[in-house]
Amino acid sequence: MASIRFQGVVKRFGTTEVIPPLDLVIEDHEFVVFVGPSGCGKSTLLRMIAGLETATAGELFIGERRVNSVPPAQRDISMVFQDYALYPHMTVRQNMAFGLEMRNLPRAEIAERVDRAARMLQLEALLDRRPKALSGGQRQRVAMGRAIVREPKVFLFDEPLSNLDAKLRGQVRAEIKALSQTLRTTMIFVTHDQVEAMTMADRLVVLEAGRIQQVGTPEAVYEQPANRFVAGFIGSPSMNFFPASLKDGVATLADGTRLALPGCVDHDAVTIGVRPETMLPVPAGSPGLVVGIDLVEPLGSDTLVHFRCAGTGYVARVPPETRPRPGDTLTLGIDPARVHLFDPDTGVTLRHR
Amino acid sequence: MERPAWLRLLTVVQLGIIGIVILAPLGWMVLSSFKSSQDVTAYPPSLIFAPTLDNYVHLLGTTPFIDYARNSLIVTIGSTVLGIVLGVPSAYVVSLTRISWPALLTLAARMAPGTLFLLPWYVMFRELGLIGSYWALILTHAVITMPIVIWVLLPSFDAIPRSVLEAAQVDGCGIIRSLWRIALPLVSAGLVVASILAFVFSWNYFLFALVLANSETKTLIAAAFNFVGEGSTDWGGLMAAATLIALPPLLLAAAVQRWLISGLTMGAVKG
Repeated sequence: MASIRFQGVVKRFGTTEVIPPLDLVIEDHEFVVFVGPSGCGKSTLLRMIAGLETATAGELFIGERRVNSVPPAQRDISMVFQDYALYPHMTVRQNMAFGLEMRNLPRAEIAERVDRAARMLQLEALLDRRPKALSGGQRQRVAMGRAIVREPKVFLFDEPLSNLDAKLRGQVRAEIKALSQTLRTTMIFVTHDQVEAMTMADRLVVLEAGRIQQVGTPEAVYEQPANRFVAGFIGSPSMNFFPASLKDGVATLADGTRLALPGCVDHDAVTIGVRPETMLPVPAGSPGLVVGIDLVEPLGSDTLVHFRCAGTGYVARVPPETRPRPGDTLTLGIDPARVHLFDPDTGVTLRHR
Repeated sequence: MERPAWLRLLTVVQLGIIGIVILAPLGWMVLSSFKSSQDVTAYPPSLIFAPTLDNYVHLLGTTPFIDYARNSLIVTIGSTVLGIVLGVPSAYVVSLTRISWPALLTLAARMAPGTLFLLPWYVMFRELGLIGSYWALILTHAVITMPIVIWVLLPSFDAIPRSVLEAAQVDGCGIIRSLWRIALPLVSAGLVVASILAFVFSWNYFLFALVLANSETKTLIAAAFNFVGEGSTDWGGLMAAATLIALPPLLLAAAVQRWLISGLTMGAVKG
């Protein structure tokens, strides 16, 4: 069990700086998810913790130990790879035992730990098979088993669910979360999928272009995004952004719709952020955004309505009983209390909710 | 897809021509080794003759053929093992680091004509007192075997997913253990191919043995040269010797044919 501390860590590949100076503390026992679009540096951060990449500058601590020049073998971490990276020439049992053999554990203890992990992951029947004879989901489990038996200080997961089909992904997601509650070990999980991020994390680290955009609980990141990037990245479908001007507590959108936002400071130009689930249909004639429906996506539990406003496409999530149809006109009420304001130039949040 | 008949015919003709070019000299060699001295030099050569073992009896009776064969085995096995011991880790590191110039250098050394090295080596080995020793031949033949091992194994090592080797690192392997426990078992087919090719090339290499060996350590192939005399050549004896010399590589290749083909094409397509 251990905390992890980045102090001014920089990573350059040649002359390309993928991680500008970065500070971050991950507490003991915490389940932290690094989330961001591909190329944001989240995997590089994880690989630096694993020791598979070395920091160009700065200091990295696992517990109280500075690990900059410690090889992966001596960091007491285990990692689940995106493609599982099982040893093809070894059986499931040998795959799981390998890391323990490398640490010269007594045979009896190796056998016991492998059996326990196999029971936990329901792999008992597969122990003598080779990876080739396993399905994707089974391989994924073996990769987890190989990580668990080591009983490391830190677990690292590098997009371990991206090669699974949707149904299995949801199942394994729940299993990993349950596992984290059983094992109470520090876990770091990398994903580009914001649903995975939201559902699993104690804390999210949202990254873009190697920079931390926001660190916080999923609720905090969702409800109080630090900037427009985070607001747009977290939440599905994405938050809607309307360019507007603000004067005397009234916002005017590009299509002329006026929206009362009492208590807001005047701005010539501002970006208004509204989550799709907070735009609800109201009777025609009520104050709100009058839109023509382009496209309807029924999800069962609710329905996504696509519309355009001043040339830009937006989405609202409405109750299914509304039964909207393409071509219909709909009035969407916007709750002033749940509107976000962003600076249109810097993207910084001006006001939450 | 069904190919047109003329294309299939062309393929057969092409394979036939290649087969004849490769097999005819071999056939000639084997047949000649069973001919009497009159038949060997007969013109035109006859396909029907009274076969005789005289050449073999004469060869084994009058020359230390068995001693030469032992020399050849010692040198070939020694240089093949040395080539593997040096070449396997080299190929692994080249594959990991993508620093390929050292591998290119060994290839260049392999491509350069052997005569280029001969004089400096002769001087060096004389200073070391190694002329006529097995070591002189094993070391020089490693120049033949090591590049083969490196270049046959490189694509096999490259075909191992990086994440598998990284997983081994995280699991506690240093580079040597990851080679020994993970990478090497995964390239075993390539290793067999590399060993056989190295064995064959070393077995057949002529020049270094001619100069650096003495009468005690001479290899078969260099000894066979003795049959070519200044005035007359014992063609029957030479062909008998050549047939016996060609046997071990042929038997080896036949024994592991299937691996040989899969190993040579490995890395070309992802398995």
